[in-house]
Amino acid sequence: MTYVVTESCIRCKYTDCVDVCPVDCFREGPNFLVIDPDECIDCAVCVPECPVNAIYAEDDVPGDQQAFIKLNADLSPSWTSITKSKAALPDADEWKDVKDKLDQLVK
Amino acid sequence: MLHSPIQTDAVIIGAGPVGLFQVFELGLLEIKAHVIDSLPEIGGQCIELYPDKPIYDIPAIPVCTGRELTNNLLKQIEPFGAQFHLGQEVTQLEPQPDGRFLISTSRDEHFLTKTVFIAAGVGAFQPRTLNLEGMEAFDDKQVFYHVKNPEQFVNKKIVICGGGDAALDWALYFADKASSLTLIHRRDEFKASPKSISKMRELCASNQIQLMIGQITGYDLTQDRISQVSVTGIDGMTQSISVDDLLIFFGLSPKLGPIADWDLEIERKQIVVDTEKFQTSVPGIYAVGDINIYPGKKKLILSGFHEAALAAFAAAQYLNPEKPIQLQYTTTSPKLHKVLGVTPPTFE
Repeated sequence: MTYVVTESCIRCKYTDCVDVCPVDCFREGPNFLVIDPDECIDCAVCVPECPVNAIYAEDDVPGDQQAFIKLNADLSPSWTSITKSKAALPDADEWKDVKDKLDQLVK
Repeated sequence: MLHSPIQTDAVIIGAGPVGLFQVFELGLLEIKAHVIDSLPEIGGQCIELYPDKPIYDIPAIPVCTGRELTNNLLKQIEPFGAQFHLGQEVTQLEPQPDGRFLISTSRDEHFLTKTVFIAAGVGAFQPRTLNLEGMEAFDDKQVFYHVKNPEQFVNKKIVICGGGDAALDWALYFADKASSLTLIHRRDEFKASPKSISKMRELCASNQIQLMIGQITGYDLTQDRISQVSVTGIDGMTQSISVDDLLIFFGLSPKLGPIADWDLEIERKQIVVDTEKFQTSVPGIYAVGDINIYPGKKKLILSGFHEAALAAFAAAQYLNPEKPIQLQYTTTSPKLHKVLGVTPPTFE
């Protein structure tokens, strides 16, 4: 199993999660983070850190977010590792409550 | 030169719920244990991450908090007089020619033990640091992750970083004692008690605390001392502020650390064990709780409790290969009553 970053993270990227990851398994893209499923050890420590509740256990990913399981796996090999939190994207607060923003994802 | 090591039958690495229950299971088999943990407090993730959050899946306890679970376990293991060595991380685990293991900690304590129980969860909790190049040279000189002696910061230009209770508590404490106090947090939202947050806002309004939303992105040196830090706001603008001391409270984060170097078989950064003894690839070293991996592993506290029981029986046999180890029940065994220090019931 693994944990999965879902849609809420897009255009927000608060990055609180990366500080607590004991195995540094977050990868960073231009406006989204993913978890490398080959590195995640299922400890769940990151889940409560996310201010927009973007992280789910693979088995708990909501029905309309299932595509993110594959997206996390597909994007993590080419994205770079992020191990320290940094400032959220400048307009994160405007995007945090927006639903259906998969079309905003920059790969 | 080594301090003379503590000689023992068992060392448990990790004082979380599973490490504590390991003390209990070993205790019933009359094996005394020393427990080492990186945190200054007993309880592991239960205390560090969710002291007040409810746990619903401990058998026969419909609901309890992380703190209650820890306190109950401490009460349960009281009869066994385990010794705790807190606030120190295990740095080395080396097999010795006589079959024992030499364990060394970051506080230079040493243990010579016949068995080891790794109950280290997701790793040792350490303060998250300010990651700026070369800044680590100023640790405990101008950059502090704990306050040991508050006096030293009086009448200084202080920068406090963080948005949790520790950052706010110290900001409130130093607001009228420092010559200037700047509080820096990544966003204008704080994870601290509402009372502290409103007090902090009041002190900002009266200019006793300067609140900056952003992050430290650089620093300047004057005569080999940090004299200024650059703070980049969420708007991308950078400002310099003059500083004597920096107090950083970014919380703690677990790191698996040196466990990977102990020559144990590892799979996906977790320690491989069998499900009969919960023994690692090195006889005499067991791994229990979140740190281990085996087919079907579930990271549940209750699974860790089961693992601790079987590891204790396996270790008892390992320590006394000739002696048959019998399963006895705490309800009926006079021997266990003695070990637990309880009065045996009389049957009519």
